[in-house]
Amino acid sequence: MRPRFLLGAALVAVPLLLALCGPLLAGPAGPRAVSFTPGQGHWLGTDFTGRDVWRQVLLGGRPVVLVALAATALTYAVALPVGLAAALTRRTWLEEVLMRPLDVLIAVPSLVLVLVCAAALSPGPVGLSALVALVAVPDAARTVHAGAVEVAARPAVEAMRMSGESSARIALGYTARSLRRTLAADAGTRLVGALYLVSTAAFLGVGVQPDASDWAVMVDRNRPGLDLQPLAVLVPAALIAALATGTNLLLDAALHRGGRGARR
Amino acid sequence: MNQLPRRQFLLGTGAAALALTTAAGCGTGSTRAPAADAASPRQGGRLRAVFAGGGNETLDPHLTNLFVDAARAKALFDKLADYGPDLAAVPRLAESWEPDATLRTWTVKLRRAAFHDGRPVTADDVLYSYRRIADPERAFRARASLEPIDLAASRALDPATVAFRLKRPYAEFPNVLAAFGAYIVPGGTEDFTAPVGSGPFRFTSFTPGRSLLLARNPDHWEGAPHLDELELLVAAEESARVSALLGGQADYAHELNPATARAHQGKGRIEVVRLRNSAMQGFVMKTDRPPFDDERVRRAFFLIADRRELVDGALSGAGEIGNDLFGKGCRYYPADLPQRTQDLEGARALLRAAGAGNLKVTLDTSPVAAGFVEAAGIFKEQAARAGVTVEVRVGNKDTYWKDVLDGGTFASYRSGAMPIESHLSQRLLSTSTTNATHWKRPDFDELYARAQSTADPAARTALYERMQRRLHDGGGFLVWGFADWIVATAPRVRGVAPDAPANTLDWARFDRLWLA
Amino acid sequence: MTSLRSWTGRRLALGLGQAAAVPALVFVLTEALPGDAADALAGDDPDPRRIAVLRAAMHLDRPARQRFLDWAGGLLRGDLGTSLVSGRPVTRYLADGLAPTLLLAALALALLVPLSLLLGVLAAGREGGPLDRAIGSATLAVYAVPEFALGVLLVSVVALRLGWLPPTAVGGVREQPAVLVLPVLVLVARPLCSISRLVRAGMLAALDAPHVRQARRHGLSEARIRWTHALPNALAPAAQQLARTCDWLLCGVVVVEALFVVPGLGTVLLDAVAARDVPVVQGLAVVFGLFTVVLNLAADLLARRLAPRSEAAA
Repeated sequence: MRPRFLLGAALVAVPLLLALCGPLLAGPAGPRAVSFTPGQGHWLGTDFTGRDVWRQVLLGGRPVVLVALAATALTYAVALPVGLAAALTRRTWLEEVLMRPLDVLIAVPSLVLVLVCAAALSPGPVGLSALVALVAVPDAARTVHAGAVEVAARPAVEAMRMSGESSARIALGYTARSLRRTLAADAGTRLVGALYLVSTAAFLGVGVQPDASDWAVMVDRNRPGLDLQPLAVLVPAALIAALATGTNLLLDAALHRGGRGARR
Repeated sequence: MNQLPRRQFLLGTGAAALALTTAAGCGTGSTRAPAADAASPRQGGRLRAVFAGGGNETLDPHLTNLFVDAARAKALFDKLADYGPDLAAVPRLAESWEPDATLRTWTVKLRRAAFHDGRPVTADDVLYSYRRIADPERAFRARASLEPIDLAASRALDPATVAFRLKRPYAEFPNVLAAFGAYIVPGGTEDFTAPVGSGPFRFTSFTPGRSLLLARNPDHWEGAPHLDELELLVAAEESARVSALLGGQADYAHELNPATARAHQGKGRIEVVRLRNSAMQGFVMKTDRPPFDDERVRRAFFLIADRRELVDGALSGAGEIGNDLFGKGCRYYPADLPQRTQDLEGARALLRAAGAGNLKVTLDTSPVAAGFVEAAGIFKEQAARAGVTVEVRVGNKDTYWKDVLDGGTFASYRSGAMPIESHLSQRLLSTSTTNATHWKRPDFDELYARAQSTADPAARTALYERMQRRLHDGGGFLVWGFADWIVATAPRVRGVAPDAPANTLDWARFDRLWLA
Repeated sequence: MTSLRSWTGRRLALGLGQAAAVPALVFVLTEALPGDAADALAGDDPDPRRIAVLRAAMHLDRPARQRFLDWAGGLLRGDLGTSLVSGRPVTRYLADGLAPTLLLAALALALLVPLSLLLGVLAAGREGGPLDRAIGSATLAVYAVPEFALGVLLVSVVALRLGWLPPTAVGGVREQPAVLVLPVLVLVARPLCSISRLVRAGMLAALDAPHVRQARRHGLSEARIRWTHALPNALAPAAQQLARTCDWLLCGVVVVEALFVVPGLGTVLLDAVAARDVPVVQGLAVVFGLFTVVLNLAADLLARRLAPRSEAAA
């Protein structure tokens, strides 16, 4: 499975490097030209407001990657403590208090949630991350909870409890560690889901400024020029696709290795 | 989905009219609609027109709010007058109008016309319609336009003559007869599920949010339309409208992107019609609060704008530059005022003089209309070059217009077609209901009142010019451009008027189109 | 069996609770939106007096709690209220929008379930084999493409360049059923990838399970093992994912409806939120919420049935 890993790493590396170093290389904004013109000193042409597409590509990776990462991190910052606490507590009422609101949230269609919250929040990376996280939290918490319940039933946890270990230690030291693999896999899919949601939000015009330097916004806003200047759409689209596909491949490779290890 | 806003309001984004044929000096060559009126019209067929949609799901013409509503209403109903290409009122159901010497009573003669059920259009129908619009309980949009009429004192002299009594002298009264949404409905009508009007098309069927099917009215007073049937469809997404047109599922698509137009113009698959110099694009400065209560700061901002860059960047080049005045090319527009250009040194000097060296301003904008946020971003860059820090604040698009009416100090703004007089009276008087620049000057109000009691057109023109010079010198509207309005049709569609901006008589005038 | 029954009872009660909480939550959310229907309707003509008249006409000047109680009372009587903007009953909006949305969703599901099972089982046939790799790469690549990008691509290539299919549903679905092909394809693409991968993973795990190995030792045919012994066990996680996908399907439906001009519930929802038409948003939330609750319920019951030992979420 090495080729899969290598391919995945290569696919992820390009967009990640661009996102990381792009803003440093971008330089100051040049004068605007007429929108959607190929060439003329802009090697990727110009975008819908006459900006240089290459500069936008350099600048546009960071928000996409950051929002996806931040949203995923935020999801787990909420889901992990809630899920673990609910699974490990022996007080049923606490479990109910923690998990039932999430059951309600999960029943609100994410679309309604996204549209309504986006109208209430001011657009920008912070609001968008929060929004994407909000949609993902209930599901992630349930995954953590289900996994932790299974682990908590193991004799080892019972033994730790008997020997008077603190519940924090049990939660972090043992349960979270046992869940590592499940969580990694789940986080990977969530990252890809966040990328997808960020792109779709740009299409729906929610949560992002319409002229933001952002790959997802570029794909959507440069669509009208597809026949005049396809690079303005294709380059950012390819970068997002590479990021998502690469993440998935890496994940697969890691799981595969993990899976084999476990079986052994 | 945010290429173009889903819901386009008439005034906010409508095309400000431009008479390309008048000597107003806006002169760019217009794009001639191919073969318009070249061959003799052919009768028959169904034309499918697709508009950006959303919103209003009734056929009540007085609720007209969006472009698709206006297109529906004008196919089914008529107004007493409508706007010509230079936004001067031209008679429709009214045959003629005549003021008395005081300009306070106007006698309007109706032409012989009939509703779709055969009843004649009478003076009572006119009064019923206007009273319905002016009902204080109902908040119809056209109510503000009808405000000058004293409807209690107005009456029908005979079935074909109405005497309108006004609350004050009003030289531009015909503008009221052409106001948006001031349609004439049969007396007593409240139910519009199967509307009966006097327009060129008769109602066949309506599916809200989807399609309105109409059939030709052979007895229309202006002559029957060429088309047998007209179907008005709705597609919020611009790319869908283009696809439907390219794929032969529609024959007429309203409101396209400049890039779409460029990609398909001259390729033969669709015909692109650009309604030049359309929607006014600009920023509004609140003239009653710092820093814009100082006229020098306002003038400095006029000098900061690089109008060409704004038009190229925010409108994809599909438009013309503005000169800080509304209604370029309209009747009464002072075309001989020199074009303002960017002068960063001049701007710095003015700001220094005003004691606003390191000025910081918040610019409110919102994706409520195409190009708003882009223009704000471009102006921010331009202002930085003059040492002014502009912070762009993107607001909620659904409540934007209300938010910037009294909130903030500096905001994106645009306006569609209306006569210059309407712009002045609705936005620039102390009593105006939508005075977004808070321009409240008693002497300015006085000039307006004087113009309205002046019967002599030359003297009135001079008064309008004085008012507009004041605005040009230091008003609150920074008008940087006028956007094209882009319509496209299938090659077989003929008769699209090339010079008719949205909301004027010849815009979306499907009774004049035919299928070759 | 009693445990299953009590579990089912608890699960049903939870579902009811969810169904009741959703409209309340959505009401709170819509109240938190900036501006109300009067502001939105006034649009670019925000004359304060006009807005006040509109607000009074819509009864928006009454306290929020009162409006919610009235609405909830109506709901109990089966009355969803009327639109603030057009005055048409909310049920009309639902009735008009439901048919196209349901048609799209049903076609998508009808295609999605067998196809994802087939792909998953095929891929699991020989782990790491060429077929597995081909399916794996293809599903990964397609999964990374958002609906709108795929839709634009399909329209411009299949419909406009090649002219094989109509590009939009303008002009009606009934007149020309072919207009549904592209929207359904776009809708199915991403869930097909995720579910077929889940089925594949489940199959691999199941084929490795003791009872399947047992069956193999007993000399059952490979096909029989695959379809009757392994597959049911592989379905539990996929069924739950499918239920969650239906929720995402709604999201995709909005995009697809916009791109292809299908006048369904997604479009109605988008317009209603923009217009602050609270009764319509509420009505849709009730329908969507019920739909989601019932689906999750069904999936949990199914999962419990297929794999009784798994602690299906409840």
